[in-house]
Amino acid sequence: MTADALIALLPIMVVAGAAIVVMLAIAVRRNYRLTVILTLLGLVTALATLPLAAERAPLAATELMRIDRYALFFIGLVLATGVAVTLLCYDYFAKREEQKEEIYILLLTTLLGGAVLAASSHFASFFLGLETLSVSLFAMIAYPIKERLPLEAGIKYMTLSGAASAFLLFGMALIYAEVGVLSFAELGRLSATADFQPSVLIGIVMIIVGLGFKLSLVPFHLWTPDVYQGAPAPVTALLSTVSKSAIFALLLRYFVVSGSYSYESLSAVLTFIAVASILVGNLLALLQDNVKRILAYSSIAHLGYVVVALITGRVLGSAFAVEAVAFYLVAYVVSTLGAFGVVAVLSVGGDEAETLAAYQGLFWRNPGLASIFTASLLSLAGIPLTVGFVGKFYVFSSGVNADLWLLVWTVVIGSGVGLYYYLRIVLAMMKSADGVATAAVPAAPAPLVGCLTLTVLVALLLWLGVYPGAFMEMLQSLSKTLS
Amino acid sequence: MAQTTALWPLIIYFAAVLVVVGVMLGLPNLLGQRSRGKATVEPFESGIVPVGDTKIRFSVQFYLIAIFFVIFDLEAVYLFAWAVAFRESGWAGFIEIVVFIFVLIAALAYLWLIGALDWRTRRQRRVESKINN
Repeated sequence: MTADALIALLPIMVVAGAAIVVMLAIAVRRNYRLTVILTLLGLVTALATLPLAAERAPLAATELMRIDRYALFFIGLVLATGVAVTLLCYDYFAKREEQKEEIYILLLTTLLGGAVLAASSHFASFFLGLETLSVSLFAMIAYPIKERLPLEAGIKYMTLSGAASAFLLFGMALIYAEVGVLSFAELGRLSATADFQPSVLIGIVMIIVGLGFKLSLVPFHLWTPDVYQGAPAPVTALLSTVSKSAIFALLLRYFVVSGSYSYESLSAVLTFIAVASILVGNLLALLQDNVKRILAYSSIAHLGYVVVALITGRVLGSAFAVEAVAFYLVAYVVSTLGAFGVVAVLSVGGDEAETLAAYQGLFWRNPGLASIFTASLLSLAGIPLTVGFVGKFYVFSSGVNADLWLLVWTVVIGSGVGLYYYLRIVLAMMKSADGVATAAVPAAPAPLVGCLTLTVLVALLLWLGVYPGAFMEMLQSLSKTLS
Repeated sequence: MAQTTALWPLIIYFAAVLVVVGVMLGLPNLLGQRSRGKATVEPFESGIVPVGDTKIRFSVQFYLIAIFFVIFDLEAVYLFAWAVAFRESGWAGFIEIVVFIFVLIAALAYLWLIGALDWRTRRQRRVESKINN
C-alpha cells in the first residue's frame, strides 16, 4: 500500500482509531464528558483529513475501496451526521443509564461502517461495511437494556437484518458464481461485453431485497415503525440518516459502476418498489398518533422518492441521478436530524416525548423548539424555502425529464398526502396547552447543547433551501467523477 | 444418468436405515404390553425420584466465558490466515497484523478494566471488601 493510499484512507482510519481511543479512555477512567469530547475530537479530525484525501482522489486504495470525490462527499455527510448525533446524545444519555459511555464507541463504529460503505467498490468491503454498521446499530437500539421497548426493537432489527444479510450474501454468491469477479468495476466491464442474463439478474434482485430491508423500502418495511419507536430518540436519528444515506450511496455506486442500469426488467422492479414505498409510507403515516411512528412511515416514503431519482438514471445518465440522489439525501438527512433532534431534546427529562399529546401547545411553552420542529417538518413535506423543496424538485424534474409519468404522479400524490400528517403535528403544537394532562408534558428545561445543534441544523436547512446554487454546483462537479 | 446409477446403493442404504429405525421404534409399540403406573413416565435415576425440573438458572458467568471464547477464538482464525501467507504478505502484512493484535489487546484491556473478568457477584464483592478492610 502506498503512502498516497494511506492518506486517502485517513478519514476512515481516524474514525477507527477514535473508536479504540474512546474505548481505552472509558476503561481507564469513566467520565461522561471526556468520552463525548474525545468522540467529537475524533470526528472533527476525521472531517479535517477529508481535504487531504481529496487531493489524492480519485484513487483505488486497495482493491476494496475506491476513494473518489463521491466517496469523500458521503463520508463527510456520514461524519457530519455523526457530530450532530453525538451532540444530541450528550444531553439525552447524561441522566439515563448506569454505563452510558459505551454508546459513543458504538456510534463511532456505526460511522466507520457507513464510511466504508460510501467508499467500497467491492463486494467484500460492501458486506463488511454493512455489517459493521448494522451490528453496531443493534446494540445502540437496545442500549437502554432495562426497558422493554428498546430491547424489543433491538431484537426485531437484529433478526430482520440477519435475514436481509442472508439474502444479500446469496445474491453476491449468485453473481460471483456466474461472473467470477467481486469488484464492481470488473463486473461492469465483463457484463458490458458478455451476456450474463438469468443468475446475475436474480443476484442483483436479491441484493436489492437485502438493501431494501435496510433502507426500509416497501415491501420490506415492516420493522421500521416498531424499531424507530423503540430505539432511543438520538439513535433513531442515527438509524434513519447514516444507515440510509450510506447504504443508498453504495447502491447508487453499484448501479452506476457495475452496469446494472442495462437490465430493463430491473427498473420495473425498482418502479414497483418506489411506487409502493411512496404510497404505503404516506398512507400508513396518516393512521398514526405517535410522532416517532409518523416519522418512520415518512422515512419509508422519502426513501421511495430517492429510488425514483435512482431509476431515472437509466434514461438521463448517471451524472444527473448522482446529483439528484445526493441532494435529496442531504435534504432528507438535515430535515430528519432536525425532526428527531427535537424529539430527543424534549425527551431529555424522562420518558420519550413521542405521543402527539406531548407536543400539544409546544408553541406556547417553547416557541424556539416548536419553530425548529415546524421548519424540519415543512422541509420533509417539501415546502418552498426549505432544503426539502429543492430535493423534491430534483426528484420531480428528473422524473419529468425521463418521461416516467407513473413515478411523477406518485410523487405528486405522495407529497400531497404527506402534507396532511406533517401539518397535523404542526397543528397539535399550535393548539392551546390548556387541556393537556401535565403527565404528558416534558417538564425539564430544554438542554443547551441540543438546542444549539438544532439551531445550526435549521440554519443549514434554510440556507440550502434559499441559496442551493453553490451546493448544487459542487454536486454537479462531483457527479461526473463517479463512473 | 451415470450419476443416478452410482447413487443407487446410497439410496437403498438410506431407505434401509429408515426401515430399520421405523421397525425398531414401531414394533414395541404394537407388540409390547403397556403399563400406566404413576411413575412410568418419570425419568429414572438410580431409584431416586427426581427433584425439581431441568429449568435451572445458570450463572451468567458461563455465558460470558462462552462469549469471550467465541470473540478471541474467531480472531485467532484471522491470525491463522495471516500466518499461512506470512512470506507473501511481507512487511505490509506484518504491520497490519500488529495493528490487529493491538486492537485485540485494547479490547482485552477494556474488558479487564471494566471488570468483565471479575466474576464475583455484587454481594460477594461487597463482603470481600469488608473483610479486607
